Amino acid sequence: MLELRLIQGSLLKKVLEAIKDLVTEANFDCSATGFSLQAMDSSHVALVALLLRSEGFDHYRCDRNLSMGINLNNMSKMLRCAGPEDIITIKGDDGTDTVTFMFESQKQDKISDFEMKLMDIDSEHLGIPDAEYQAIVRMPSAEFARICKDLGSIGDTVVISVTKEGVKFFTRGDVGSANIVCRQNTSVDKPEDSTVIEMNEPVSLTFALRYMNSFTKATTLSEVVTISLSSELPVVVEYKIAEMGYIRFYLAPKIEDEDEEMVPQNQADVKAEPA
Amino acid sequence: MGIKGLTKLLADNAPKCMKEQKFESYFGRKIAIDASMSIYQFLIVIGRTGVETLTNEAGEVTSHLQGMFTRTIRLLEAGIKPVYVFDGAPPDLKKQELAKRYSKRADATEDLAEAVETGDKEGIEKYSKRTVKVTKQHNDDCKRLLRLMGVPVVEAPSEAEAECAALCKNDKVYAVASEDMDSLTFAAPRFLRHLMDPSSRKIPVMEFDVAKVLEELELTMDQFIDLCILSGCDYCDSIRGIGGMTALKLIRQHGSIEKILENINKERFQIPEIWPYQEARRLFKEPVVTCADQQPDLKWTSPDEEGIVAFLVNENGFNNERVLKGVEKIKAAKNKSSQGRLESFFKPTASVSVPMKRKETSTKPTKEAANKKSKGGRRKK
Repeated sequence: MLELRLIQGSLLKKVLEAIKDLVTEANFDCSATGFSLQAMDSSHVALVALLLRSEGFDHYRCDRNLSMGINLNNMSKMLRCAGPEDIITIKGDDGTDTVTFMFESQKQDKISDFEMKLMDIDSEHLGIPDAEYQAIVRMPSAEFARICKDLGSIGDTVVISVTKEGVKFFTRGDVGSANIVCRQNTSVDKPEDSTVIEMNEPVSLTFALRYMNSFTKATTLSEVVTISLSSELPVVVEYKIAEMGYIRFYLAPKIEDEDEEMVPQNQADVKAEPA
Repeated sequence: MGIKGLTKLLADNAPKCMKEQKFESYFGRKIAIDASMSIYQFLIVIGRTGVETLTNEAGEVTSHLQGMFTRTIRLLEAGIKPVYVFDGAPPDLKKQELAKRYSKRADATEDLAEAVETGDKEGIEKYSKRTVKVTKQHNDDCKRLLRLMGVPVVEAPSEAEAECAALCKNDKVYAVASEDMDSLTFAAPRFLRHLMDPSSRKIPVMEFDVAKVLEELELTMDQFIDLCILSGCDYCDSIRGIGGMTALKLIRQHGSIEKILENINKERFQIPEIWPYQEARRLFKEPVVTCADQQPDLKWTSPDEEGIVAFLVNENGFNNERVLKGVEKIKAAKNKSSQGRLESFFKPTASVSVPMKRKETSTKPTKEAANKKSKGGRRKK
C-alpha cells in the first residue's frame, strides 16, 4: 500500500518537466524515508538523483520499500492534466501493475483520478560516494541557465574553471569563442541573488553543454543552484526542492584521450611541413 | 551465412538478450568489425545498378573504397574507434560451404548473361547481386585505405568473426559489430548488428549480450553451440526437419547432439551421412585465433592526408574536394576530447526496493498468463 499526498502538487509537475528529456524511463523508489529516483541517460553520461523526503508530504504512507517502473513521458502527460494549484496524491497497491495520480482542486470541488500502467525496467543503480569537492559554487539558478543557453549558441562544450577570482565559463565554436566570469558577490539584498564560491583548490573541467542545458530545465524548482566540482569526478548540479529534498544532476566530464594520440600526431606534423 | 533463423529464435525465446541502442551512445568505444562482411555489403549496395558499378578510369570497382571511406568516417565522427578484422584462410569445413557459394555464383553469372541478353531488368538486378564476390584485391585496397586513415587493421589467422570475438573476450575491444549471427556462437560477449548501416536507414543498433542469451535460453555455452549447429551453420549440414525451434526443444530435453542422436526417431529425421558436427563444434569452441598475449595493441593514429589523396583521387578517380572534406572530418574527430562515462566514477549497487509490478506471488502471474491465453484462444475462435 502506497499513498503520498503532496499539497504543492506543482512541485511534482516541475520535477517531471526537469527530468523527462534526460531520461525516458526510470524506477521511482518509495521507502519510509521518502520518494526517490535515480536514473541515467541512455549513453550513461549523466545521472539524475531525486529525493522528496516523507516529511515534505502532507500524508505519507509506504508500508514497504517499493519501486515503480515508469515511462516519464507518459507520467508527465498525466501530470500536465493537473491544475497549477492542485493537490496531487500518488496511490498504488502491492502486486498491481498500475499507479494512480489523484488531483484535487484547492476548493475540493473537482477530483480527478488518472491511472497509469507501470512497466518492468531493468536499471542499474549506481553507488554515489560522499565526496569532498574541490570547489562549490552557489549562484542564482536563472543566471546559470542563461549562461548555459548563451554558451550553447556558440559551442558544444563548456570549460568551467574556479579560481580565487571567481568562476569562469568558456566555450569555443566555429564562429568564435565566449568567456563569462562570475565573481563572488554577497552584497545583495536577497540571499538568493548572491554568488558564493567555496574553493579548496582551483579546478577546471570540460562538459558537454547539451547536458548542462538539459539540467537547467530544473531552474523553476529553485532560485539557487549549487555546482560542485572536483577534478577526476563528475560535476554535481543541485537544485533544492522547497525544504523537502533535492534534484541532483551528475555529469561525467570530457576527458583528453589518454593514449597513443600524441606521438603519431607529431609525426604527421613533421611529414606535413616539408610539403 | 551465419546461423539460420537465430535472430527470430532469440527474439521469441530470449527477448531480454537484445536491446536497441542509439548509434551515438557508442562514443569512445573500441569496436571490432568483420571487414569482409562490410566490404561485401558495400559492393552490393553502393553505386551499383544492374551490371553498372562505380569504377575508376581503369574500370576497376571502387564501391568498396567509397563505402569504407564514408562509413568509417561516420564511425570516427561519432567517437567510435573501429578495428577492422580481415578473414584469413577458411577452415577446411567451410570450404564445402564456400564451394557451394561458388557454384551458386557461377549459376548466377550464367543467368545474368541471359538476363542481359533478353533485357530483363529485374533479372539483371537480381543476378548481378548474386555474382558479387570479394576478391583479395578488394581486401588489400581496403586495408591500404584504412591504414592511411589511421585505423587499425587485424588479419585473422582464420575466421574474422572468431578473431573479433577473441578480441572482445580479452577486453581489447568493447564489442563486435557484424551482420553475421556467428559472432554469438563464437561467444563474443557483446555483439552489435546494424552498426554499419547507413544513417539514412535510421535503424537502431541492436546489442546482443551472450550471457543473457544463455541465461534466458537456460543453456550452457556448449549447448548453445550445439543449438546453432542444429539450426544450420556454415560448417556442416543440418538435419532435415529440424529447425531452430525444434532444435531448442531437443537440446533442452537431451542436453547435447550426441544424446539427441541416441533418442530421436531416425526414420523421421534423416541424419546426413557425413555429418561432422563434432568438427563444427570444435571450430566454434576452439577456433584458430591469435592468442591473447600476441594480440597487437590497437592504435588509432592521425590520417595521412597526402596518402589518402594519392590513393583515392589520383589512383581511383575520387572527387578531390570530397576526399579532402572527409580527411578534415577525420582530423576534427581526432581532436575532440572524449566524453567520460559515469561508470568510470561510480560503481553499481544493488537496489533494495521491490518492484511493485513484478512483486506478485508466484500463483498470480501464472493465473494471469492462463487468462490471457484463454482470452487469446477465444478470440481466435
